[in-house]
Amino acid sequence: MMAVHAMLFREAKIRTTNFTFLFWDLCYPLGYLLVFSVGINDAVASPLSAEGVDYQSFFLGGVLGMASFGIAANTAWGFFMDRDNGIFYEMLTYPMSRAQYLGAKVFFNVLVAVVQALLTVLLAWLLLGVSIRWERFPLLLLTVVLGTAGWFYFYSIFALRIRRNDIFNSLTSVFYFVFLFASSMFYPIEPLPAFFRSVALVNPITWHVDVLRFSTIALGIPSNIALEAGAFVLFALASFACAMHYLQHQE
Amino acid sequence: MCPIKKPVSEFAIQCENLVKVYRPRRRAPVRAVDGLSFAVAPGSIFALLGPNGAGKTTTLKVLTTLLLPTTGRASVLGHDVAKQPLDVRRRISAVIQETAVDMFLSVRDNLLTFARFHGFSLAAARSRASEVMEQFHLTAEAERKVMDLSGGYRRRVQVAKVFMVDTPVVFMDEFSTGMDPILKRAVMSMLRAEASRGRTIVLTTQVLSEAEELCDDILIMNKGRQVARGDLHALKLLSRDVYEVSMTFERLPCEIEGELQRLDPVRLHVNQNTIELAVRAEEPHVLELVGELAKKGRVLHVEIKGASLEDIFVELLKEDAHSN
Repeated sequence: MMAVHAMLFREAKIRTTNFTFLFWDLCYPLGYLLVFSVGINDAVASPLSAEGVDYQSFFLGGVLGMASFGIAANTAWGFFMDRDNGIFYEMLTYPMSRAQYLGAKVFFNVLVAVVQALLTVLLAWLLLGVSIRWERFPLLLLTVVLGTAGWFYFYSIFALRIRRNDIFNSLTSVFYFVFLFASSMFYPIEPLPAFFRSVALVNPITWHVDVLRFSTIALGIPSNIALEAGAFVLFALASFACAMHYLQHQE
Repeated sequence: MCPIKKPVSEFAIQCENLVKVYRPRRRAPVRAVDGLSFAVAPGSIFALLGPNGAGKTTTLKVLTTLLLPTTGRASVLGHDVAKQPLDVRRRISAVIQETAVDMFLSVRDNLLTFARFHGFSLAAARSRASEVMEQFHLTAEAERKVMDLSGGYRRRVQVAKVFMVDTPVVFMDEFSTGMDPILKRAVMSMLRAEASRGRTIVLTTQVLSEAEELCDDILIMNKGRQVARGDLHALKLLSRDVYEVSMTFERLPCEIEGELQRLDPVRLHVNQNTIELAVRAEEPHVLELVGELAKKGRVLHVEIKGASLEDIFVELLKEDAHSN
């Protein structure tokens, strides 16, 4: 626990001395929800009537997934910052195991993701009238925690393997484009062309977003959601194991 | 601070036939450490010396658990670096070659964070940070973010961190880089004080006068292997026929540099009207040489002394190159 406390202390110090950073982290999904989803909803006149929900409600799960994905990418990018400052290697000599290091590193950011999700869901309910299934709130929190950690470990594989910041940035741009659009984040995947739909079905973003959607507005078939949740947990565990491997073989 | 607890192991550090091979992609493997064996006594100041690429930093990386050895064994206070890395990390603090600081944190927060990672409570860390900042003349900069400080100050913050904690073993990779001479002297005397309390200090340096002044035990390495080992006196015996001569002339005699080069000196440096050379010769011959040189012009100052660590270092590396 000592490592987790110390890392929390460090991350909190870094973030709380940079309010712009913290404000952006907390409020950006809300801004996305307000600007993008309200715009789409009004301009295209609720294209999701088949789902029985308006776009704002549909997109809430998507925007929460996008936020976890973004926080995870930024946290993994922090490896480059730490490497440039030389502190990365020094931290690896501190009294903690490599697994504790990876766990502690994401812990503060998971807390940020939880606060961010709370704010977003609360204001979506108050401002946009999204009908939230509050009884599923614990599931939502668990999904945010696992989702942020899972995506962080996934990004860590590349951040620990790649030494060049610019290559990592290019890769994250590709990930944003492919993962986000070939998924159920912005639209339901059923009407999509067969190939596109197949890609979306095996995309972990789809699994993550579907569980978020299920836990906020109860959209989805429980058996399918359970399968997707299990698949995402496996994906997160595999990413963790892979990130650990690269962390242990830093040269 | 109190004396450090007696370690469980007889030695603070032990390496047995340590080998580290880097295998870069699309390039030939590099044998950075090649069968290195040594042991370091607790409470001593031990230096790894060697030219660039000798394997000093790689050895330190293995000992600080940053790298796994390819073969061989290394332990810190009896704990194997490969099998018990966490036990090793609990007993060490390290200053690595790069300037390792948290740029977005203030000087104080850098020290507090380091102490927190080493298990200090916030109150204990705060009180220790005030003392250490005083020692390192950082109090005036305490609340400034490190990113706003000069390179020298950043290095100062990094070195100050190891004085925050009381780990029995301290590793310092070229700690004095970027430090002003006054602070460097102060840090060296702090290191001596820490060693006398029982802490083991392991350092690498290319500034040989630093090792000469500070270290009880020196290992000279080249191409990953040990070239020589011992305290300064033992190493000087390896080069007992090497003498350093410094002569200042009123006017530097013409062509003296060329003549001296023909003697195949260990080292020759001519600066304005002063010559500094290290030669391998018996004592009477050195005196003869000085007499000959004195005939070439009016001499203002002469100094003859035994070999410095730098001369020994150059000699040993030359011998190593010849034997290879």
